[in-house]
Amino acid sequence: MSHPAVEAWIDQSLDDELSAADAAELAVHLEGCERCRGFREERLALRAAIAEQIPRFEAPGPLRERMRAEWRAHAGARSPKPVRRLQLGYWVGLAAALAIVAVTSWQVSASRAGARLLADEVLATHVRSLMPGHLTDVISTDQHTVKPWFNGRLDFSPPVYDFAGRGYPLAGGRLDYLHGRTVAALVYTRRKHLINVFVWPAGGEAAGGGKPRFVQGYHLLRWVTPDYQYWVVSDLGIAELSEFAGLIQAADSAAAPAPPSQ
Amino acid sequence: MHQSELERFEAAVLPHLNGAYSLARYLTRNDFDAEDVVQDACLRALRYFGGFRGTTAADGRAWLYTIVRNTAHTWRHRNRADTLTAEFDEAVHSEHVGDEHPESALDRSVARESLAESLDRLPPEFREVLVLRELEGLSYKEISAVVGAPVGTVMSRLSRARKRLQEELR
Repeated sequence: MSHPAVEAWIDQSLDDELSAADAAELAVHLEGCERCRGFREERLALRAAIAEQIPRFEAPGPLRERMRAEWRAHAGARSPKPVRRLQLGYWVGLAAALAIVAVTSWQVSASRAGARLLADEVLATHVRSLMPGHLTDVISTDQHTVKPWFNGRLDFSPPVYDFAGRGYPLAGGRLDYLHGRTVAALVYTRRKHLINVFVWPAGGEAAGGGKPRFVQGYHLLRWVTPDYQYWVVSDLGIAELSEFAGLIQAADSAAAPAPPSQ
Repeated sequence: MHQSELERFEAAVLPHLNGAYSLARYLTRNDFDAEDVVQDACLRALRYFGGFRGTTAADGRAWLYTIVRNTAHTWRHRNRADTLTAEFDEAVHSEHVGDEHPESALDRSVARESLAESLDRLPPEFREVLVLRELEGLSYKEISAVVGAPVGTVMSRLSRARKRLQEELR
């Protein structure tokens, strides 16, 4: 038997993957072969060194909690009511439930085709903005630089905030074209993630919030205040993006009832 | 998805979250990216859970690790972070087992690397099989399913990964 073949057997035996018959043959070989015994000793030493020096990492607690919140948001967005499963044939029940969910979401999306088209448009604009040189027309972390920049470029003055203290610093702004009009696009960052906030006047839309969307790896949030329509899009997790949206909403209501000052 | 389905999902996934994170951490080699990869992978897992037909804890583990592994690979290609090791060529790496990256040879002349650093320098295809076997304790067959390569390939990659690390111990 060649040494490389024996060495493969030694690895397999240490990994508990060698058949009993082969293991017996290996033992016989090792009896008479010092070189292969040496190889086995080295492998044992390597295993010990790996166990000692290469740690297994643990998922950070906040990550765990953030993800569970995110799962709940996603699961809840589709069907908030628990459906009793059939006692006979769990899989039949599951398949039926999934079919109901599919049909329901199809109906919902059909009835909201308009909103979905706009969501697609928002997403496309977000993706385009990530291409080199497209992100910002005015680059500043200072809200008092970004906000005046829109003067004369838009027929409204978008609310601009700086949430650097909360971990969402402003990166700049630009003009964009959405929903058949020129809109303000504000860029915020979270760690290495970018968040695009699209704002334009409410224009008679009823105030309220839409459900979160998850498309092609991006989360989209939409809501309408008495003054503005908002779309927020990012590859950030839904929990953090919702937190960010909450900051804007809080800042907006702090500025109300007077429109945000210049 | 309704509540009982979400509970079933959590029961399948949560016990393996540490392993999933550890795998992502070794594939991305930093904490932030590992968190993003795990978060992204678990969302995908949630969406595809309807298609998951496993019954045992080991099934759930291999299923989750597969998604984490694929997410990490997508992430790497998107970020081009692994330029040193991204151009993996089975034939080349197979023939020249002892070849080191020039950088690691340079470092070694200055100071001995720790074993963990040597692991980080392995091409990802070697790193992942070693982590799955030595840290996560997966069988060859399970590793083969996770990385999408035949068992024979898994065994030879493991052997080469070990050989490289062994050189650091001498």
